[in-house]
Amino acid sequence: MIRYIIRRCIWAVALFIVVTMIGFVLFYLIPADPAKFACGKACTQVQVDKVAHYLGTDRPLYIQYLKFLGRLMPVSFSGGPHLKSPDLGHSFVNRQPVTSIVGAAAPVTASLVFGGMVIWMLIALPVGILSALRPRSLLDRTSMTGVLIGISAHPVWLGLIASYLIGYKLGWTPIAGYANFFHPLFAQPGGPVQWAYHLLLPWMTFAILFAAVYVRMIRANVMETMNEDYVRTARAKGAPETRVMRSHILRNALLPVVTMLGMDVGLALGGAVFTETVYSLPGLGAQTIQSLNNYDSPTVLGILVFATTAIIVMNLVVDLLYAWIDPRIRLS
Amino acid sequence: MSQPQPVTETLDGRPLHGDELLVVDGLKKYFPITRGIIFQKQIAAVQAVDGVTFTVNEGETLGVVGESGCGKSTMARCVMKLLEPTGGRILFRGRDITRLSRAGMRPYRREMMMIFQDPYASLNPRKRVGFIVAEALELHKLGTSAEIKRRVQELLEVVGLNPEHYNRFPHEFSGGQRQRIGIARALAVNPKLIVCDEPVSALDVSVQAQVLNLLKDLQRDFNLTFIFIAHDLNVVRYISDRVLVMYLGQIVEAGDRNNLYDQPQHPYTGALLSAVPVADPEVGRARQRIVLEGDVPSPINPPSACRFHPRCPRFVKGHCDVVPPELVLRANAAPDHLTRCHYPLERWPLTVEEMRRHDGAPAAAATEG
Amino acid sequence: MPLLEVKDLKTYFATGDGVVKAVDGVSFSVEKGQTLGIVGESGSGKSVTCLTIMGLNPKQRTTSTGQALFNGEDLLKASPSRLREIRGNDIAMVFQDPMTSLNPVHTIGAQLVEAVLLHRDVSKAQARRRALELLKQVGIPRAERRLDDYPHQFSGGMRQRVMIAMALINDPDLLIADEPTTALDVTTQAQILALIEKLQSDYDSAVIMITHDLGVIAEIADDVIVMYAAEVVEKAPFDRIFKHPHHPYTWGLMGSLPRLDADLERLIQIPGQPPSLLRPPPGCRFHPRCAYVMEICRSKEPRLLPVPDEPTHLQACHLDEETKEREAARLLQTFATGAA
Repeated sequence: MIRYIIRRCIWAVALFIVVTMIGFVLFYLIPADPAKFACGKACTQVQVDKVAHYLGTDRPLYIQYLKFLGRLMPVSFSGGPHLKSPDLGHSFVNRQPVTSIVGAAAPVTASLVFGGMVIWMLIALPVGILSALRPRSLLDRTSMTGVLIGISAHPVWLGLIASYLIGYKLGWTPIAGYANFFHPLFAQPGGPVQWAYHLLLPWMTFAILFAAVYVRMIRANVMETMNEDYVRTARAKGAPETRVMRSHILRNALLPVVTMLGMDVGLALGGAVFTETVYSLPGLGAQTIQSLNNYDSPTVLGILVFATTAIIVMNLVVDLLYAWIDPRIRLS
Repeated sequence: MSQPQPVTETLDGRPLHGDELLVVDGLKKYFPITRGIIFQKQIAAVQAVDGVTFTVNEGETLGVVGESGCGKSTMARCVMKLLEPTGGRILFRGRDITRLSRAGMRPYRREMMMIFQDPYASLNPRKRVGFIVAEALELHKLGTSAEIKRRVQELLEVVGLNPEHYNRFPHEFSGGQRQRIGIARALAVNPKLIVCDEPVSALDVSVQAQVLNLLKDLQRDFNLTFIFIAHDLNVVRYISDRVLVMYLGQIVEAGDRNNLYDQPQHPYTGALLSAVPVADPEVGRARQRIVLEGDVPSPINPPSACRFHPRCPRFVKGHCDVVPPELVLRANAAPDHLTRCHYPLERWPLTVEEMRRHDGAPAAAATEG
Repeated sequence: MPLLEVKDLKTYFATGDGVVKAVDGVSFSVEKGQTLGIVGESGSGKSVTCLTIMGLNPKQRTTSTGQALFNGEDLLKASPSRLREIRGNDIAMVFQDPMTSLNPVHTIGAQLVEAVLLHRDVSKAQARRRALELLKQVGIPRAERRLDDYPHQFSGGMRQRVMIAMALINDPDLLIADEPTTALDVTTQAQILALIEKLQSDYDSAVIMITHDLGVIAEIADDVIVMYAAEVVEKAPFDRIFKHPHHPYTWGLMGSLPRLDADLERLIQIPGQPPSLLRPPPGCRFHPRCAYVMEICRSKEPRLLPVPDEPTHLQACHLDEETKEREAARLLQTFATGAA
């Protein structure tokens, strides 16, 4: 088991290095010269070169990457080893530290994604299980139709419809915007209630696609597990149906769901672009688009680092969770 | 490309008379077990096949029996060169084919075919039966498309299927019919040797009889040579001329079918024979079952010396677990009846008591010759 | 009163292609301490018969009629909760594939304890002691240490022992074993059969042994039922089945079996395939494959009737008694002459 964890962690680090390296190379292949952008249109070549030197973009690519990695490390070796906070550099556009840009955007995306996840699982679990129990029943047919609609509906379309109908026409929720959970800015709404109130529509919009996918997956897994021999064994022992479902079917049927959940949440943390755009949420997705438009590579790279880390960490969590649930992995 | 040269004697120096169809000579297949966090290093090996030597003559059926994990299927896959042997040699018509490349194997591929256990899994569900049977013909470019089609229909008829069904898909056939398709596919290129890996164990009794009879008929009509691998001792007795009994990667007994079934010498063969239920209550209920203790040990770390010793009712401490027995001919055994045991059975049947009790003196081996 | 009496049991499954008559009018009874062998090929209805008795068929699209009287109580009319009380307590079942019949995410101990706690009002510790006791009885080495192991840590033979322990843990009156040794190696099969026989004599319970292997039947059955295409074609004490088989299908089964004790020149094969249960042949269901087919066989379904002077030997075939005795004797003769 410990061997398994160590191997997973080493793989996670390797994966991180490979992904950031590819990201780094890709962004510096963009033909536009970041120094020119940072300097402004009126700059002379000499001024641009100075800016390039200041930004570090005149150094060879591998040096830039190593420096980038060095800044990212939570330890520094200059002047004796000591801990420091990881640094992602500064934005080319407004010289703000990238860490604080990401730090401001990440909670918004995280609120959207984790809240959305809770909602989509709350929908998908009961609907999926009930559909599996009564295949081709009215409930099953209805939910399967819903799944089709949910998978086909684009979040932007869905978001616009929802904010128009529920937010504007009915006026039940805000149309757009975000309310900070802890520290609202001056004269802005804040606190848990406002936070949830503002996120209600985005959560719904974001959750519908995933709810559809998960209903279908949970239904299929439960139906498959119901036909397993050990489920028949449990019935032959005289176990009541609720116990059979809880102790014998669900535990096995939800194993693959856990994996999917980890991957989907990790991916979505990189930016739920569409939902954030529709509801003007200042999350990572919106920030990525803004930074891309400005050729602000340090910020884009910073978000990439964050997203990669999120995906890797979520996968690690899933792997460990999986090992914890499934003895065949834990004990092999 | 040079053709392999004929081989005239086995690795341990026994002469070959040259007309054996297949010689398996000291065959070994180890599967490495690796461990490591990043770099995988080998820490052990599964000794799936460990020094197996036998010959197969043209036109005969060699049966191979043994329980799961005895290495019989791995052995078959090595013979077919589907797995690369770790050691030893495979001689086909006197030529060493062990280290031949893919291209070098091509002329031999036509002469050795295989039939698998699961008739459904071994047929591509998206291909029509005609295509499945014709594939080898087309691969070896044996005839025009019209000739191939005629040949396929002929083959389907030979194996007892309706030749007009060549356009159907495997799922439209029953299990027994699918196994017939597998047989037709194997027959297509007129092979000399067919290796059958548990070909009837997935079939019902009545269908099993049909397929077994078909194999016998085909052997007679086309002078085929079979290696027939099965765990069912009844089936092996019916189909085979000679039989090998395998245990943990080694041959423990080999001999003519009737000698081996009527006068088994190895205690493991005896236990196997006594364990098979007999469809005759007078025989079945009267006879004593020799029930072996425990399970087959792991081939990763096989028991020392005689691999059967931890489960053997005749185990002698200090001998069986120290001196590995050789596969030899006993003094009073029929020719070709080889046994790997220090304390072979004196006669058969034996009661459980007699099985445990033996005179204590190791049996003498017959002098070579 | 027999322990279990099944009368005219029918189980039909509704499918997209029509109604599959998986069991079509099966009757038999089992006495305490007796072993009933049910032999037949796949699709003959032998497993579905027992699943119906246990109430383990899928509820949707399944109709079962007839009676299954267990100690006089009709299981087909029992409520789901009453059936749950009986299952695992009075009637227990062992299935064919031990590799898939145990839940991979629970320990062996937990699965055995569950079986006890479902039917007994005892503490967890007591249930665990009972589980340990049973594991020892079925011959699991170092049982104390293995209670907390998971199924994948056991070999196939050991898992089947665990299944048997689980089935016997509440001292059932009837054990239904559905091909319990088919997936196992010969030496393991011998161990499991010996175990079932021993436990049966220890507990004096009744056993229904479902198998396709006439050898297993010959070794442990008292009474034998031969099933073909969802019906019983012959039913007799074991010595009658093997010495005076009366149905051409029984002859076919015996003739197509390769034998350890005989050097057979050629197997007697039954031509063709078992019929579809969607549209079984009219008349005798075996007639398209029968070498003795007569005109009457194509139209009139034979009834399961006793052999003259042998009230315990029932058979369903239109052939006359003389032909049957003659053909059976001829068949047995080929085994005798084939024997080395």
